[in-house]
Amino acid sequence: MAERVVLMIGTRKGVFVAESAKTRRSFTLRGPFGTGVAVYSTLIDTRGTPRLYASSCNPFFGMKVLRSTDLGKTFKETKSAPAFPKDDGRALANIWALETGAGKKELLCGVEPASLFKSGDGGDSWELVPGISNHAHSRQWQPGAGGMCMHTVLRDGNRVHIGISTGGHYLSEDGGASFTASNKGVGAGFTPDPYPEFGQCVHKIAGHKDAPGRLYMQNHGGWAEWDGPGGRRPGIGVLRSDDHGKSWRSIAKGLPSDFGFPIVVHPHDPDTVYVLPLEPATRTCPGGSPAVWCSENGGSSWKKLAHGLPKKESFFTVQRDAMDIDELAKPALYFGTTTGQLWMGRDGGEDWSCVFDALPPIHCVKVATV
Amino acid sequence: MNRSGTSITIFIPGPLREYCQGASTLPSSAPNVRTALEELERNHPALHRNVCDETGAVRRHINIFVNDSHMRDRDGLETALLPGDEVIILPSVSGGREWQSV
Repeated sequence: MAERVVLMIGTRKGVFVAESAKTRRSFTLRGPFGTGVAVYSTLIDTRGTPRLYASSCNPFFGMKVLRSTDLGKTFKETKSAPAFPKDDGRALANIWALETGAGKKELLCGVEPASLFKSGDGGDSWELVPGISNHAHSRQWQPGAGGMCMHTVLRDGNRVHIGISTGGHYLSEDGGASFTASNKGVGAGFTPDPYPEFGQCVHKIAGHKDAPGRLYMQNHGGWAEWDGPGGRRPGIGVLRSDDHGKSWRSIAKGLPSDFGFPIVVHPHDPDTVYVLPLEPATRTCPGGSPAVWCSENGGSSWKKLAHGLPKKESFFTVQRDAMDIDELAKPALYFGTTTGQLWMGRDGGEDWSCVFDALPPIHCVKVATV
Repeated sequence: MNRSGTSITIFIPGPLREYCQGASTLPSSAPNVRTALEELERNHPALHRNVCDETGAVRRHINIFVNDSHMRDRDGLETALLPGDEVIILPSVSGGREWQSV
């Protein structure tokens, strides 16, 4: 039985850990750890004794991985961080994804420039995963506005899904040994070909353990008005797959914008999915009125969840990893803004309140019950 | 080995001393900056990783001075070191720019 709710909040100035009883009436805040250094990725590893991880993207001294074994009271650097082989020619620029791997202490790490690393010892040593990192397409991937980042690493049994901006979605069906670009139906607005084989600016991919073939994708939308070669591309921003990511279809109808960054699935219902639409030009909430939008039927229709959120003059930007949902019976959603606010939406986002109002700009939010 | 075989001194900035057992200076007999960094890689790999990336390039926001001169104003990594020289590793003031972050 889960007793505590733990949040990791990665910010421009380090990582914070917030903790609450499962009532979630109030959170205590610890940190920042890795003080002054941007954190783009965190992981709460609940396999066995919980371990907390955070990337620490130091512009002076390079990338570190921080680890806590006391639920975020203290953090220490792991013995090493991912690094490309010396003769590879690439140098690590950022760490965008930390996920658990198949083995007991195995971790997976998506980085910039887009590549995947694996650790078998809880982050003390790392090795490049060549099947995707040295993929024949890898030298053709291009950086999006956030850099050429591998931000999504999603395991489903022997399948591994990778999301790259801009590279698209790649699928492995052999445990990560080899990967295939798998972007049928995933549109791109910034190339003459609206549906290229690869090179899409995927923003985030989410799945659910009870619906293993089902995936949801927040892609780079906002191309409905494009009138150049290839024609208009409405609705390419929010997509669904029912065949393990081999093909995708739009589920954006009914949303105020198909542009956004995070996409999150309800922990107990694979038909319930959440997005946070943004205006594509400003990357802020439409009309200065923030809202999470929820579909309870797998994307067939959407409803607005804004009770408790500001109604006007609030131009939030929520980045790709800055929204998550806990696993309690009535789960709460959480999102962090680049203006440093951490919001919690009880009852699956039906009732929002601001948990922290003045943190540094928030890059990522993860929650777990321990 | 530099010409006399006597030591030069490498000054380590405070944030990096945890990677060399707290030492504020390290001795070297390297004939040039490149060799001094290679010595660091052999003897203090964690420290070296903070100064250079995995391609061997000095990190963008790290400055290396030989005495009063930035190495870029001399011969870069090939800057010769002479007995009594000081090699000073310093973080620059240019590293605070926000990363592109979406």
